[in-house]
Amino acid sequence: MEQQTPPTRENGITDGVDIVGYLVNDEGNYELISGPGWQPVNIVNRQAWQEIEKQIEVSKDHVDSGRVSCLHYYMTINQMNIGLLAGYTNQSRLRVRLHLIPFFFKRLGPNTLKKYGDLFQVSTDDLKNGRIKAPIYDAGQQAGQRRD
Amino acid sequence: MPDNRQGSGVIDFPHRQSAHCESGVAANLLTWKGLEITEAMAFGIGSGLFFGYLPFIRLNGLPLVTYRAAPGNILKQLEKISGITMDQKKFRDTNQAMAELDAALEQGIPVGLQTGVFWLPYFPRALRFHFNAHNLVVYGKEGDEYLISDPVFPAPVRCPAKDLARARFASGALAPKGKMYSLRSVPEQLDYNRHIPEAIGSACRMMRSSPFPLIGVKGIRFLAGRLEKWPGRLGRERADLHLGHVVRMQEEIGTGGGGFRYMYVAFLQESGERLQDPVVHDCAALLTEAGDTWRQFGVMAARICKNRAQPDDTYPAMAETIRNCAQLEEKVFQELNHWVKQQGQSKAQVTR
Repeated sequence: MEQQTPPTRENGITDGVDIVGYLVNDEGNYELISGPGWQPVNIVNRQAWQEIEKQIEVSKDHVDSGRVSCLHYYMTINQMNIGLLAGYTNQSRLRVRLHLIPFFFKRLGPNTLKKYGDLFQVSTDDLKNGRIKAPIYDAGQQAGQRRD
Repeated sequence: MPDNRQGSGVIDFPHRQSAHCESGVAANLLTWKGLEITEAMAFGIGSGLFFGYLPFIRLNGLPLVTYRAAPGNILKQLEKISGITMDQKKFRDTNQAMAELDAALEQGIPVGLQTGVFWLPYFPRALRFHFNAHNLVVYGKEGDEYLISDPVFPAPVRCPAKDLARARFASGALAPKGKMYSLRSVPEQLDYNRHIPEAIGSACRMMRSSPFPLIGVKGIRFLAGRLEKWPGRLGRERADLHLGHVVRMQEEIGTGGGGFRYMYVAFLQESGERLQDPVVHDCAALLTEAGDTWRQFGVMAARICKNRAQPDDTYPAMAETIRNCAQLEEKVFQELNHWVKQQGQSKAQVTR
């Protein structure tokens, strides 16, 4: 995979990796043929990502206005929901739901914070101070940005 | 049986790129074990083709549309073939799962794994969604990195142990739970005269005579009916999102194009040649038409999603296109069903 800064999806969803599909050859038989893939799929893939980006923006606003804890931002940016987050951190959904509220999040112990930190690949310090970092799939490509 | 061990647990595994992960892994493992088979044949004999519109299962809040059988089905079907035996295991503990993987590699056995896509660092960024039914083969370990033959990639890739462990224990729908599998034995040759009609018969049953209205040809018609009403029920923006989702399930990486229809055509063509049977070959042409119609729908949908809709691109027009697909596929599987019955009869006469 190529490293791109900033990462773009302009050149197709496969990042330049050729994939194979079944296409008809000259004799009318199907054959595996390598190429960049069928182009219209790039459009719908981009549409799905735009939706995710929209959700991230909303989440960012809510974190800024103090309606949710910064955990919500990390959850959204990694395309998770309460169920997934509960599954990965081995906690009940109710607990995770509470942790999304700033009042409870501020009172979290170091062990619980570490669980979230390990999952999102950020330090507990970042979580505590509400620093916003890149999603897991961008780690190493994009430096974290401070929220303030 | 090949003895392909090369020094420190790296197996000489023939990587072949394929269109779909599960059939690709199955074909590559079988071929390594000495049973030469193409991906399309593995897909067909594993009864991979399907259709289901299941709105009560949600992916990112959008209804599940599937063009293929449930994940794991291809392997399950192949395992039923006499002579093919497989070891399969699921785990609770990550360390134990990784230790068993290492032990199998030490013995020179390439291991198939079910993993989540989100955690695999070598995957293109745009495809890193929480999808947990990806399949790949691990064929060696060097230091802290596993050597992986991921069938949708052009060449073998590497993955750090930490990430692979995460991917094997991804949470959510279809959680892999560390599932690993390897082949114990394969027959020297497949009895194509028996397995092909059987597999086609099972695909016909799935597509034509499921009692559930959301499955098979009925499911395609159901989707058409729902799709028509999306703009009214969901509003324009949500409707477009739903539409894009259908096209992604149909065409995104791992489908071989046209919602797996083209891959099945390749299987039918190969079957027609192997059995010297013109009927199967003719059905292949008809199913190609169905695949093309699915793509017509895909193009129209993509234009709508991009806000470049032409005057004819409307939801009712797309529903009509999907209904055409249903009609074509109904015809294909009707003919194939007829053919399967004939095969059964002629075989009964021979044994009498």
